[in-house]
Amino acid sequence: MLDAPLPPCSRLGHVGHAKRCLSGLPSAQVELDASTMAVVFYCIGTLDLLEMLEGKTSESDRQSWRDWVWEQQTHGPNGSGFRPSTYMTPQRSPNVQEDCTSYDGPHVIMSYTALLSLAILRDDFSQLDRPGLIKFLKSCQREDGSFSTVIGSGDTDLRTLYCAFAISSMLDDWSGINVDLALQFVAKCRTYEGGYGQSPNCEAQGGTTYISVASLYLAPGSPSTRLTPPERQKTIQWLVRNQLSSGGFTGRTNKEADACYCFWCGAALQILGARELVNVRGLGQFLSSCQFKYGGIAKVPGEHPDPYHTYLSLAALSMYPPEADPTWAFGPLDPLLNARVETSNWARAHIPAR
Amino acid sequence: MSLVDRPFYSARPEWKDVEPLEQYENINPLAPILYTDEYKDATNYFRGVVRDGEKSERVLELTEHIIRLNPAHYSAWQYRYETLIALNSPLATELQLMDEIAVKHLKTYQVWHHRRLLLIQLRDPNPELKFIAQSLKADAKNYHTWSYRQWLLAYFNNDDLWSGELDFVDHMVNEDVRNNSAWHHRFFVVFQSGIRDSEKDRERVIKRELIYVKQSISLVPNNASAWNYLRGILDHNKLPYLTVQVFLEAYTLDTPPATGDIVDLENPPPSKEAQLPCPAAIELLADVHELQGAEGVGKAIDLWKSLRDIYDTIRKRYWDHRIKGASHREGV
Repeated sequence: MLDAPLPPCSRLGHVGHAKRCLSGLPSAQVELDASTMAVVFYCIGTLDLLEMLEGKTSESDRQSWRDWVWEQQTHGPNGSGFRPSTYMTPQRSPNVQEDCTSYDGPHVIMSYTALLSLAILRDDFSQLDRPGLIKFLKSCQREDGSFSTVIGSGDTDLRTLYCAFAISSMLDDWSGINVDLALQFVAKCRTYEGGYGQSPNCEAQGGTTYISVASLYLAPGSPSTRLTPPERQKTIQWLVRNQLSSGGFTGRTNKEADACYCFWCGAALQILGARELVNVRGLGQFLSSCQFKYGGIAKVPGEHPDPYHTYLSLAALSMYPPEADPTWAFGPLDPLLNARVETSNWARAHIPAR
Repeated sequence: MSLVDRPFYSARPEWKDVEPLEQYENINPLAPILYTDEYKDATNYFRGVVRDGEKSERVLELTEHIIRLNPAHYSAWQYRYETLIALNSPLATELQLMDEIAVKHLKTYQVWHHRRLLLIQLRDPNPELKFIAQSLKADAKNYHTWSYRQWLLAYFNNDDLWSGELDFVDHMVNEDVRNNSAWHHRFFVVFQSGIRDSEKDRERVIKRELIYVKQSISLVPNNASAWNYLRGILDHNKLPYLTVQVFLEAYTLDTPPATGDIVDLENPPPSKEAQLPCPAAIELLADVHELQGAEGVGKAIDLWKSLRDIYDTIRKRYWDHRIKGASHREGV
């Protein structure tokens, strides 16, 4: 089955899906209200991976998108960063620059996706409040090394820690983070299976394993001191076993394949220097079968698509392009930041203070 | 998806003193959600309440309403919690309300986070175990539910709390032997959460766990969760892989061996219905051989070749990598 010819990648369909989501989401998607910035990143990122941002959007669109992202940068007493959207922001005169309330403040995960969105849009980052962002990260780190998503919330897990690492790496400034303490927290999330759970004592999971591995390799210093050769080997083994006979990856032992884990597990393997172990043909077969007929990619064949699975599937395919089919050709991806290499180069060139 | 026929806040006299605050939108909002009128009305009043800093009973009603419309609205959760504390509200009542909301929204982070905050205040963890067991009936592999159980046990860490845990996890494994969350939980309980008095004899505990997992494998050999558990016991306790060689061999054959009357607890054979050979057993046996020098490596390579060519072809490149690595090291 895995040898069957691949159906073409419906690139224009995926562009259409991303643009439709950027123009509006139905009321049934109201749960995305407090994470709109992430949705925006997945949509703009989809256009970037397909290399259609310039061709299929106008400069005035892109300028208004930049303006929208910058409008989410908020400044409070505990630092600056980006909020998910204006979902908690009252209508006011746009000229009045007031400090945000503590319920309308910056969010670590949204700050990471905002910086990447702006890098995709090739912004010059002249509006970025760098000292504020560093201060914000500092106020979010907790005694156990983990990070809360917003100031004062106890809601912490590895996702937030990774975003804090990615932001520090893009800033090329780690002064907002106690890296050793954070890495101790990552180590506590490791499980007997070789993967990492979301918090200490939790089951190994593909997404949080990516996040742990990427954090270990993003942190300044040598990653080899943080993962012994047998540990690395065991993690690789677990990741490789997550590829199922359908070609798709599962996120946990004995669960079904899901398009997003093709990215999380595939990217972790690439970071660990084991990309040659992935069955690329199978991965392409599975992801191509997750394409929705009107554009977008779903978590499994036959379901409805969403920006998250569309972006992550295309990101996985950028690392592991199926051979011999030009519609599945993509530019290279930086697995550490989860962005096209050109975008990550732009981020690293323009985000650090000069 | 209006919950009940309730009038909008804007039509209710008891909310007249609150100024509703519309959401700020610039001219070109990105990925805007086409809110229902009900959601708009409720969140307008919520922004108004937050600006005024009001913390009152009616704020509890309002935040509950918003949470039911959008359980991922983390600001509503946060404000609700602060209001509960400010009003000195009975948190046990709140927990009861959460029993119902949690089961509806098992996959929402905030639901579980709020519950943790309540438990930290209430400090009565024991009844929670029953609630968790109940909600696992709706979704036996739910990540948040299991994480919450692990957090609860580790955070409160009292002997009573732990006392029924092995029975519970045994029950969950029996319900679905491929439930990896249950296997993971067993590993956490036995090996990674400190050593309780009843488990002080580690030799006995390790032996018990080896027998447990081998029995499970003998009934259902092709179960990655059990094999990972077996490897976990060996690695965690630094037991040589060689100690399971005899057990493994029967699972690498094409048919179950003829069994005598004596059942060897340490080496239970595959059941008659077992689908053999078992790729996970071949893989582990190859690891056993690989650790035994040049001669072993030859045997390991034969096993890897059988995985590559017949039993686990999706990982062809991985098996090639193992063959190449071992050949290179041993100069085979």
